[in-house]
Formats: sequence, structure tokens, C-alpha cells
Amino acid sequence: MGLIARAIEQIGIPTVSISITKDLTEAVGIPRAIFVKWPLGHPLGERGHAVQQKTMIFDALCLLREAEEAGIIREPGYRWRRETYAEPDFTQLR
Amino acid sequence: MSEKRTWLERLANRFFAIPTVAQLWAKRTAGRTEGLVDLSGGIPFARLTKPLHECKVALLTTGGVHLPEQPPFDMDNPDGDATYRAIPTDTPPERITITHKYYDHSDADADLNVIFPLDHFRSLVQTGVLGSLASHHFGFMGHIEGEQVTILNERTAPEVAAKLRADGVDFAFLTPA
Repeated sequence: MGLIARAIEQIGIPTVSISITKDLTEAVGIPRAIFVKWPLGHPLGERGHAVQQKTMIFDALCLLREAEEAGIIREPGYRWRRETYAEPDFTQLR
Repeated sequence: MSEKRTWLERLANRFFAIPTVAQLWAKRTAGRTEGLVDLSGGIPFARLTKPLHECKVALLTTGGVHLPEQPPFDMDNPDGDATYRAIPTDTPPERITITHKYYDHSDADADLNVIFPLDHFRSLVQTGVLGSLASHHFGFMGHIEGEQVTILNERTAPEVAAKLRADGVDFAFLTPA
């Protein structure tokens, strides 16, 4: 995934990625990523958990807007299945 | 064409579903990327130049998504499959299928948003947070090694990047398997 992000960024299109494998993401050199220590196959979280999934998208959009340099991997530290999420306020991004 | 798993692969899927195990696997794989990836030029970086509500967005995932009428990803090549499938933006999520035997996608099968959040991005466009969606999104299969990494770097990834540019995409959102 990191290699695809690099190819897209290379031609001038910004990217933001979710990472669940930090070492690999760092080794590949991804332009921007939100890292969560979650099981493979669940980059946005649990099935049926829309608020959690939207929180990941919200965090990714924030990073996309705020990143000033390449290679930032932000770690919100959400625990797998033990976190309480609030509905993200997307109007903040307007 | 099937992604029929051996008992060992099924066991591996369950094992890799444990977050700590996934991290250990990533560490090991990271140690082997040397030579396969040319990182000498640093990390490419393009700045977002528009407000989000004016942006056209494309979704990409290496979770193995494709349409049922498209050829499934190659599960027989041990190096994986570096090709991609274009998903038209108006595709109903329930039509999208997953071929990828290297992770347990039962949760993604039940709720595609877990890996390919087309529904959420549609709502973000409807509520005016984002401008629009790209005409096509792209499904890849992660878990590639050896010559498939070369194919991705030299052919398929630049090809998709060019398609995004031709479509006028302002940023891409990527998710792994």
C-alpha cells in the first residue's frame, strides 16, 4: 500500500493512508499515515461500528490538511475493542 | 480462481488477526524490503492545495476488492498479484467482493466499510465535507513479494496514479488489508 501511495504522491497528488503494520509502513516510507495497532483486515475498525470507522476517516482528513512534511505517522492510540468513540465533528474541517 | 485455503493458511489467518502478531510480521517483512524498494530519493510529498469541500477523492485499498465479473486476484502465485481492479464510484457496496486469502476478511465481507469505506465517503460528499468522488476507485491485493513488487513499482502503481490524475483527483485515501 505504501508503494502505491508513493507512486501517487510522486505525480503530485496527496495521499493519506491507514496503517496497521507500523514497521512495514516506516520501512516503505509512506507520505502520511494514521497508525493503529489493530488486527489485519480492520484498518477502519470493527464491523458495524460506524462511529469508530468515521473517527479513523476524520483523523486521516485532519492529518492530510495539517501535514507539513513527508513521513508523518500519527498514532491516536485507539485500543482494539476497548475504546469509546464520540461522533466526529466533520464541520470542523470546513 | 478460488481462494480455498489450506488448514495451515486458515490457522495463519487467525494467528495474524492478533494485533501483536501482525506487528511482528510487519517487523520481519520490513527487514526484507531492502533492495526491493528504492528509497534513495526520500519520501515523495505533495501538499493539499484546496479546501476539503472542493476536493475530488479516490479510495484505494490493498484488501483485494473487485467486482464479481472482474477476474479475481491470483491466489496461486506465491509472490502475490500486483494487478488492480477499477471500481466505478456508483457501485453498490454489496456488489463488491473480496479475493485475498492472506487475511481474514469475514468482517470486511459483512461490512465493507471496515476496509473500503465507500458509504462513509458518499455521506461526506452529500453533507458537503468533501467535494466529490472520483469516477473510479481501485482495488489491489497486498501481500506481494519479489517480481510482483517490481511490477507494482514499474507498471501498475504509476498506471493507477496516472488514471487518478486524468480523473482530476485531488487526494487519495488508502487502506491496507
